[in-house]
Amino acid sequence: MEKRVNTSPWGRVTVLSAAMLLVLLISFFFFLAAGIEPFAAYKIIGEEVFLTSYGWQDLLVKMTPLMFTGLAVALAAQMRLWNIGAEGQFHMGTFALTWFVLEFDGKLPGGMLIVLMFLMAMIGGGLWGSIPGYLKARFGVNEIITSLLLNYVSIAWLDHLLFGDWRDPNTNNFPITKEFSEAAQLPTFGNTPVHAGLIIAFVFVLIIAWILWKTRLGFQIRLSGENPDAARYSGVNIRMVTILVFAASGAIAGIAGFSEVTGIHYRLQQNISIGYGYTGIIVAWLARNHPLGIILSAFFMSIVFVSAEALQIEYGLPISMVFLYQGIILFTVLGSEIFTEYRLRMTGRLVPTETGKKPHL
Amino acid sequence: MEFFIQVLVATVGMGTPLLFATLGGVISERAGVINLGMEGLMLVGALVAFVVMLNTGSYLFAVIAATIASGLVSMLHGFVCLMLRANQIASGLALTFFGAGLSGLFGDKLTGETVEPLSRIPIPVLSSIPVLGPMLFNQDILVYFSYLCVILSWLLLFKTRLGLNIRSMGEAPEVCDSLGLSVIGYRFFAVVGGGMLIGIGGAYFPLALTPFWVDGITAGRGWIAVALVIFSFWHPVKALGGAYLFGIALAMELRLQILGVEISPYYLKMLPYILTILVLTLVTIRYKRLGVQVMPAALGEVFFRGEKH
Repeated sequence: MEKRVNTSPWGRVTVLSAAMLLVLLISFFFFLAAGIEPFAAYKIIGEEVFLTSYGWQDLLVKMTPLMFTGLAVALAAQMRLWNIGAEGQFHMGTFALTWFVLEFDGKLPGGMLIVLMFLMAMIGGGLWGSIPGYLKARFGVNEIITSLLLNYVSIAWLDHLLFGDWRDPNTNNFPITKEFSEAAQLPTFGNTPVHAGLIIAFVFVLIIAWILWKTRLGFQIRLSGENPDAARYSGVNIRMVTILVFAASGAIAGIAGFSEVTGIHYRLQQNISIGYGYTGIIVAWLARNHPLGIILSAFFMSIVFVSAEALQIEYGLPISMVFLYQGIILFTVLGSEIFTEYRLRMTGRLVPTETGKKPHL
Repeated sequence: MEFFIQVLVATVGMGTPLLFATLGGVISERAGVINLGMEGLMLVGALVAFVVMLNTGSYLFAVIAATIASGLVSMLHGFVCLMLRANQIASGLALTFFGAGLSGLFGDKLTGETVEPLSRIPIPVLSSIPVLGPMLFNQDILVYFSYLCVILSWLLLFKTRLGLNIRSMGEAPEVCDSLGLSVIGYRFFAVVGGGMLIGIGGAYFPLALTPFWVDGITAGRGWIAVALVIFSFWHPVKALGGAYLFGIALAMELRLQILGVEISPYYLKMLPYILTILVLTLVTIRYKRLGVQVMPAALGEVFFRGEKH
């Protein structure tokens, strides 16, 4: 058995489809375990998600933040960095823009407010993301652990504000801020809940793809990921690029927060992300960290979210079921990669093992 | 003084799940397999322990069931990243998702149910030592079991043939393979054994710390344990110190809240995570200063038998 040098995209599609069938099969048993008739559940998912216009709109709405968080994780992964902190960067993005809007709503001319909110979300997420980036670049601290732990910190910070100074006194002590004015809301497509965040997401997919493959910086990012030594010898400032990539990754996750607040909720509230940041990891993995692939994989994970919602309404199953599916999907895809990443070769000759890349712990 | 002793007693309680999980992580990583799924495994252990406790009322059954369940779930990690040679980091994350989803789905209906927490059993003579007595020897049975696990995993890793083999898998799997040892077999054993300990750590939450069910009962402690494995230099005895150091931070959070100190509870909530990041940074700097290889050399590597990869 040896590692394939080039994996054909069609092989990958085949394996992915087989993996998805397996996921459906596994979920059959989970439905049984949860006391639900599996075929009735499949039928509900099929009808609610794909046969209603609301289902399709919801797919596009849920896909939007997943494209951003998936892009965020994928950008860092292009440099072989793990950004598990998109959830926290999402939250800090919403923090920064909410602070701004609470201060300046009504004091700025029309379009300026929302553009500045957009920038604030990027700054909030970007600064938060640059913490693990800096610690990694400067001291070599494991970015997986630091970026993840910061998620808990950011959520506690938002809770502190939502249960404190930012709570709207007119809403029966719910932990929500007051509703933002119309100047702080993204336009929607007609009467649907689909909003302009989706367009921004597509634009960012193109921007990131362009940066990665058409600019010097993108080349440096990919080179540092594939061969850090070669990058160093050719004069890439790996530390600088690491911090930059993490900051950019955090900024994109921050835009996911912007898109959710200004596109859907029009205020800050608890649980504004139902695990979008974490799901970004799977979105990126399914897309093999390719920005264009993100579009497909974000749509796919959106199906999982909307299906879970349908099941929640129909059977009262908790939404955390989504995580179970994500786990199963990731396991299945990882397990099936042995077929796309390796091939069998009959050989009697023993070739010495090369030592692989060490994780940066 | 009273406050001080209360904090120390709570320190051991809060540190115990971290200790079990860190020991499990140490064993797995010594064999060369990263386990980032600790949070998920702890959640599985917590859920199963709580359900079995509710239905049987037996602590012993609850712990055994949690151990078996987390062992089974870690087999998934072992299977995917050892037999199917997948990326260990991604597989660990999948495990975290899986555990969080499983405990969320099946724990949903349990919200609000309560069980009787484990009672303290003072050890005669030892428990009357000032300060250390109430801290270490007036605890519940699982805490005493955790002491035993520290000693046993130290003996296992450093004093037995099996342990030597396990550690060699994490340092030089190719050499082990050429000596005729089964790399995948030993690694699988370490992943599952370690996973079982992590599951007991999870079981400690509903059985002793929070004797009722809440979603996400382990609150990110599994990730603190991931950092503690590094902090403890992959050593079981140092894991004890690390776990209790974080136990102090968690115990302070609890005690200050009870005392009604004027500080936002959300700041106290952040404390353990910020502390983990700080300590991890300091430890990483220290590793660099020492300039010696403390991390198992083959950690995270996919092993191929006599083939190119």
